[in-house]
Amino acid sequence: MGTQVKDVVIKPEAPSVLLLDKHADYIAAYGSKKDDYEYTLSEYLRVSGIYWGLTVMDLMGQLTRMNQQEITDFIKSCQHDCGGVSASIGHDPHLLYTLSAVQILSLYGTVDVLDVDRVVQYVGGLQQEDGSFAGDKWGEIDTRFSFCAVATLSLLGKLDAINLNKAVEFVLSCMNFDGGFGCRPGSESHAGQIYCCAGFLSLTGQLHQINADLLGWWLCERQLPSGGLNGRPEKLPDVCYSWWVLASLKIIGRIHWIDKAKLRSFILACQDEETGGFADRPGDMVDPFHTLFGVAGLSLLGDEQIKEVNPVLCMPEEVLDKLGLHPDLLS
Amino acid sequence: MHGRIKIKTTVQQEEEKRKERERKLKIYVTARDAIFSKRKNGVLDDEALQLTQQLLASNPDVATLWNYRREILLHLETIREEDDVQKMYDAELSFLESCLKVNPKSYGSWHHRGWVSARLPRPDWARELSLCDRCLSLDDRNFHCWDYRRMVVKMSGVPVDQELQFTDRLIGSNFSNYSSWHYRSTLLPLLHPESPEPHSPCQQASHSSPLTSPQTHSHRVCEEQLLKEYELVQNAFFTDPNDQSAWFYYRWLLGRAEREEMISCVFVSREEERVAVAFSRPVNASSSGLILVLDGQPQRVEWRSIHPRFKHSPVWICKIPPGTISDISNEHNLTVHWTEKHTHRDCALYTGRSESWCRDSATDQELFRSELSVEKTSVLQSELQSCNQLLDLEPQNKWCLLTIILLMRALDPLGYETETLSHFQTLKEVDPMRSAYYSDLCSKFMIENTILKMEYAEVRVFSLSDKNLTSLCHLDQLLLVTHINLSSNQLLRLPPEFAMLQCLEVLEADNNAIENLEGLYHLAKLQDVSLKNNKISKLSDLQPLTSCPKLTRLDLRGNPVTQIVNFQSELAEVLPSITDLLF
Ligand SMILES: [Zn+2]
Repeated sequence: MGTQVKDVVIKPEAPSVLLLDKHADYIAAYGSKKDDYEYTLSEYLRVSGIYWGLTVMDLMGQLTRMNQQEITDFIKSCQHDCGGVSASIGHDPHLLYTLSAVQILSLYGTVDVLDVDRVVQYVGGLQQEDGSFAGDKWGEIDTRFSFCAVATLSLLGKLDAINLNKAVEFVLSCMNFDGGFGCRPGSESHAGQIYCCAGFLSLTGQLHQINADLLGWWLCERQLPSGGLNGRPEKLPDVCYSWWVLASLKIIGRIHWIDKAKLRSFILACQDEETGGFADRPGDMVDPFHTLFGVAGLSLLGDEQIKEVNPVLCMPEEVLDKLGLHPDLLS
Repeated sequence: MHGRIKIKTTVQQEEEKRKERERKLKIYVTARDAIFSKRKNGVLDDEALQLTQQLLASNPDVATLWNYRREILLHLETIREEDDVQKMYDAELSFLESCLKVNPKSYGSWHHRGWVSARLPRPDWARELSLCDRCLSLDDRNFHCWDYRRMVVKMSGVPVDQELQFTDRLIGSNFSNYSSWHYRSTLLPLLHPESPEPHSPCQQASHSSPLTSPQTHSHRVCEEQLLKEYELVQNAFFTDPNDQSAWFYYRWLLGRAEREEMISCVFVSREEERVAVAFSRPVNASSSGLILVLDGQPQRVEWRSIHPRFKHSPVWICKIPPGTISDISNEHNLTVHWTEKHTHRDCALYTGRSESWCRDSATDQELFRSELSVEKTSVLQSELQSCNQLLDLEPQNKWCLLTIILLMRALDPLGYETETLSHFQTLKEVDPMRSAYYSDLCSKFMIENTILKMEYAEVRVFSLSDKNLTSLCHLDQLLLVTHINLSSNQLLRLPPEFAMLQCLEVLEADNNAIENLEGLYHLAKLQDVSLKNNKISKLSDLQPLTSCPKLTRLDLRGNPVTQIVNFQSELAEVLPSITDLLF
């Protein structure tokens, strides 16, 4: 019962050059089909969708093509009395969209559009006895939300608003035998979760707690013969996992442990030459989520046509420079 | 957004699809608007439950709809009899089961199921456990379901050994199941914890104790059980030598316990009026209550980490008030207290001595060896034999090669050095994508071996030239080294950690590709630096050297920086202390 390596085959005719203009056109047009079925159906994550689109446009030097006024008004209208931000009007506030909103406004340098004090209060109010964070008042616990909390507060310069020691203790209690992290104590390691926990430990100045050699080995073993990276053993490669893994490796100072050239060709092969945008895998449908992580991944790999991206916050470094925010990276 | 294959369509198909989407959009928007308006009006009734059910059945990720359902259920709970509440929540669980069938990976559905289960007046955990069994039989890697299972197990007090048997079953039917191996790694330390006494038999954990805390990453497994696990894993990798799950698990089994938190070295220098303290792991001295007591008197000192880049560092330094220890005819006794960990370390500076230290050597701590006790070397030896057999069958198997290297290190790192190096060579050839990882790991092992050799020889000279070193590590172990030779390797930099070599006088690092000297920072004794044939290209790259007061000799031959116009005078301006410059 030998295991077959799950992977994709990149066809020789797959795109091998970066089609930046097409991607910018794709993102610019995406928000204009507001009564499209797919678009409407994704309203439950709209604010995050805007973050993906704006960030990738900024990384490509095309931020001015987006309608700042409209976006800012929309974000403002999504803040609730409790301080939290919802994905869209009529939806409930949640840490996921609160972070996205703060990231969006940070790109524009206008976080004051929100009632910042209330945002800070909202985030602080979601911390639990054990240091963990609930995503919203309904109590789902996940290390993703620990990341959302400290990322939001870091961007607002208010990291002291929570019990940091407890928060760190909880995230460390999610560390596994393979050096990775899961959603909750006892949960299996997963690249997305590892990214959140490595990012969390970077923002809280605790990266020395990571076993970087062990985790780095697990992470670099995510690279498959196609060059793409998967999120867990025996899974298919994916552009978004390529970002979670690559950014985690960058944070723990081990990005040279993967084959950069092969990853680059995998990411480029996930472009759609007709429509612009990136898909999860070659030949699949594109979306803004994978478009951001494709472009951000290429930036981490050193592509000079793209602005430098910060591996912890997935935003342009120049934006964080202005904020004086420089999350730790291991050397 | 995942796994949707792009299909070529004709104009007519496109038109049909457009119409279909428009129809679906209308249905969705109508239902959504109806729901939102009901909620706005504070309506919490059965009709709202039905409407949200309609949408959630196909869109389980719309979190707000689950929230509204919970509001309704909580309200109905207050106005209904217990039996009706039970029925209401049972119906909710049936609905959820149908949602999970359509979309087994929705965060929203699983969280809601947990919420409902916790609110049931008469919870049926056995049913929940069997739901998990069914779900995992369809996809044994679904981490949502695994997490839900752990919650159910915790809530209902399923004994740990029963869960371990569950993983036995799953692994028995399919070795290639990373999730099961992972689960095992959390269960074993609960059931068979490592005994506090290194050589006593396993502690008898109560087999029927409920699984209360699944978190055990720092805990280890007792030796007796470890040996049984070795057997299980061997079965797995002999059955399928390319399945990474078993190999990852095996490496964990071979690993050693985390080092105890302690002060591993105290060093004091009369001339520099300075104390350096090394810890077994990075700490923040300013926040962990580090106190220096000199001849019975607590001293007011300021601790600084070895490099401004580190808030946490394994080595910390402080200056002693001027004049206190400078008279060579006096004897002094130092104690460093680490109040946070209730531990301390003494160090005596005798008359006539200019420096002194007290420390654990790497050999004492078996720092670089496996955690298995020496008595069980025979077991490791037989593990190595098995892996060698497998390698005969599968000479290209990278997992096997790497494991053999690890076993050899656990057994006899110096004795197996040549074989280890040759296996690393093969590894880089069979798995070129990860060659940089193997190079760094090999560098680490070579450094460990050199530290061991240095300690056996009782010298303060660390020499590791011409060994393809690509990175540096364990530099905290080199605190007392006075001479280091790293020439003819592939180093790109002397990282900030290099500043831990607090006693360094002579550095040779010729013939590398070094372009960054960040780690040559405040090295008080450094006199002689040879960096021939490296990649130092700017004067500013030499900036860190300005913090080394005793530096007089610098060899920069064969570096691009020497090509700068007026190099000698420019350098004299930056580093006036250099009297012997070669370029
Ligand atoms: Zn993806």
